[in-house]
Amino acid sequence: MNKINREKFTALSFFLSPMILMVVLFYLVPLVMTVYISFTRMRNWNVEKYLTEFVGFYNYQRLFYMFQHDPTFKAVILTTVVFVGITLIINVFGGLALALATFFISEKPASSFRLLWLLPRMSPIAVYSLVWYYFFHGSEIGTLNSILMKLGVISQPIPWGQTVPWGAWSIIIFVNGLVGVSFGMIVFTSALNQIPKELIIAARVDGASAWEISRKILIPLTKWHFLYVLTWQFLSLLTTYPHIFLLVQWDLVNKDYGTTLALYVFNTAFGRGEQDQGLAAAAAVILSIIGIIGGFITLKVLQFEKMMKRPRGDF
Amino acid sequence: MKDVETRPSRYEWVIILAILLASLPLILGFSLLVLSSFSKEMVTNLDLSSFRFTLENWINVFQGKLATTGGIRTNILKVTFNTLIVALGVAGVVTFISALAGYSLSRIDFRGRKHMMVLLLILHAFPGVALIVGVYLLYRLTFPQSPDIIRLYSFFYVILARAALEIPMSVWLMKGFFDTIPWEFEWSGIIDGASRIKVWWKIMLPLIKPGILAVALFAFLAGWQDIIYVRTFLIDQTLATFIEANIEAEYSHMPLIAAAGTLYLLPTIIFFLTAQQILLQGYSGGIKG
Repeated sequence: MNKINREKFTALSFFLSPMILMVVLFYLVPLVMTVYISFTRMRNWNVEKYLTEFVGFYNYQRLFYMFQHDPTFKAVILTTVVFVGITLIINVFGGLALALATFFISEKPASSFRLLWLLPRMSPIAVYSLVWYYFFHGSEIGTLNSILMKLGVISQPIPWGQTVPWGAWSIIIFVNGLVGVSFGMIVFTSALNQIPKELIIAARVDGASAWEISRKILIPLTKWHFLYVLTWQFLSLLTTYPHIFLLVQWDLVNKDYGTTLALYVFNTAFGRGEQDQGLAAAAAVILSIIGIIGGFITLKVLQFEKMMKRPRGDF
Repeated sequence: MKDVETRPSRYEWVIILAILLASLPLILGFSLLVLSSFSKEMVTNLDLSSFRFTLENWINVFQGKLATTGGIRTNILKVTFNTLIVALGVAGVVTFISALAGYSLSRIDFRGRKHMMVLLLILHAFPGVALIVGVYLLYRLTFPQSPDIIRLYSFFYVILARAALEIPMSVWLMKGFFDTIPWEFEWSGIIDGASRIKVWWKIMLPLIKPGILAVALFAFLAGWQDIIYVRTFLIDQTLATFIEANIEAEYSHMPLIAAAGTLYLLPTIIFFLTAQQILLQGYSGGIKG
């Protein structure tokens, strides 16, 4: 018995230690360090000078004060709320719509479309930003501007991203929305393919249309997946920033109304000019707390634990 | 399984047209970028009369001529090579670690297994931006003194740090692939007296090749497309930071950046043409867990 246990321990440490090492080094240690930095006066990465200079909750107080009085920070918070809310709706319903639409057409065009919609997620972030940089460009080389000018809607090119707040918001929502749609699309597609075909055939025989089949059979049967996409996408939208980072960096969108809280954290810690890691870390800690609470609620709502079965043939 | 036999085909083209219309900005945006890279002037204004075919942009990109007048030169092959190193490094680290961990989470029953899987899910959802401040401090604290190895260390660190972000999802993906292999294969090995490690190496890994390929491909793309980690940690330039730095060039050079962008997009296009099934099914395999 003891020998078996020892063997199992050897095997387990062989299989799991690299992963555990990575998790400790790049999740747990950095997390502790981030919390630690949020209590110091760290700025401009001057580690030698500020690493041990404690300021207590000063950074958190500053955040709270900025939340009340600083118009720039208020714009960031407002942008985060609008961005997460609207993009979430677009992602979930866009994904569902795409999955349903491709479900009702033959396999070949369906896979091509699904592949096309994976493109935003799969292409290099810099190239993806470049595409939309040209598309929404404020001069006449911008695709949107030239379309509207050809149609005679506008006579002068409009710098869309600098039109606050809705111009900037529309661009970041659009750009990030296209990335997120593919997640919902893939989850819903795999859910739809698991639905017994007999149900659909029976409905067809009774004369139901595609719309009726969707509404009465397909959508009710994918409720769990709907919740999954909704909660998961909420968490990732709250913390995503790579796809809007370059849009702000290149001045395509307004700095205040194109920056979400996650991007604010990154730019405060690593951006151009004055860097304030203490403040960034404090904002990151608050963001993490929201994320962790959201994550636990997600797990409880989705009952993930029930899905994790024990390995059946182990001894 | 599709809704095939009973589907009236006369509505099909209506749906196809609707999706096509919704995809139009996407198609337009990407194809105008690629087209512009072959043109003297940007064609993003949809004015096809301004399209004059030229290979000049591509030649200039490969020669590293950024400005037509100035003498600034960048070795774009070196920059591409740097990007490739990061991507291959991330793919290697992620595939290796998740092939190990995915097996034990799928096949070995041990205390804390469930907790470990929940923890991985939470880590996957964890705000990366909260970590990057700490990850950078760790980088600064472990920074080597000798200047010869600083650049090497920055490659090493950016690969590990970027790979760590992919690990929770990849372990779940890999576990899903191991779950699909029938136990009988494994039992036959264990009855013959082989250890779990040997069974994993000799029996399971060969059976799971498609899964390994899928995980490696996703990890490669993650490393290839990254900009945040690369610009924060890496001393050398990659295609991402090259494009970021050069966008502010004058308008006349915009087609040149479009050429660099198209070059950067090339692996994605190649994977789209050759590995469609992996891309489409890989995700759902991991999501079902």
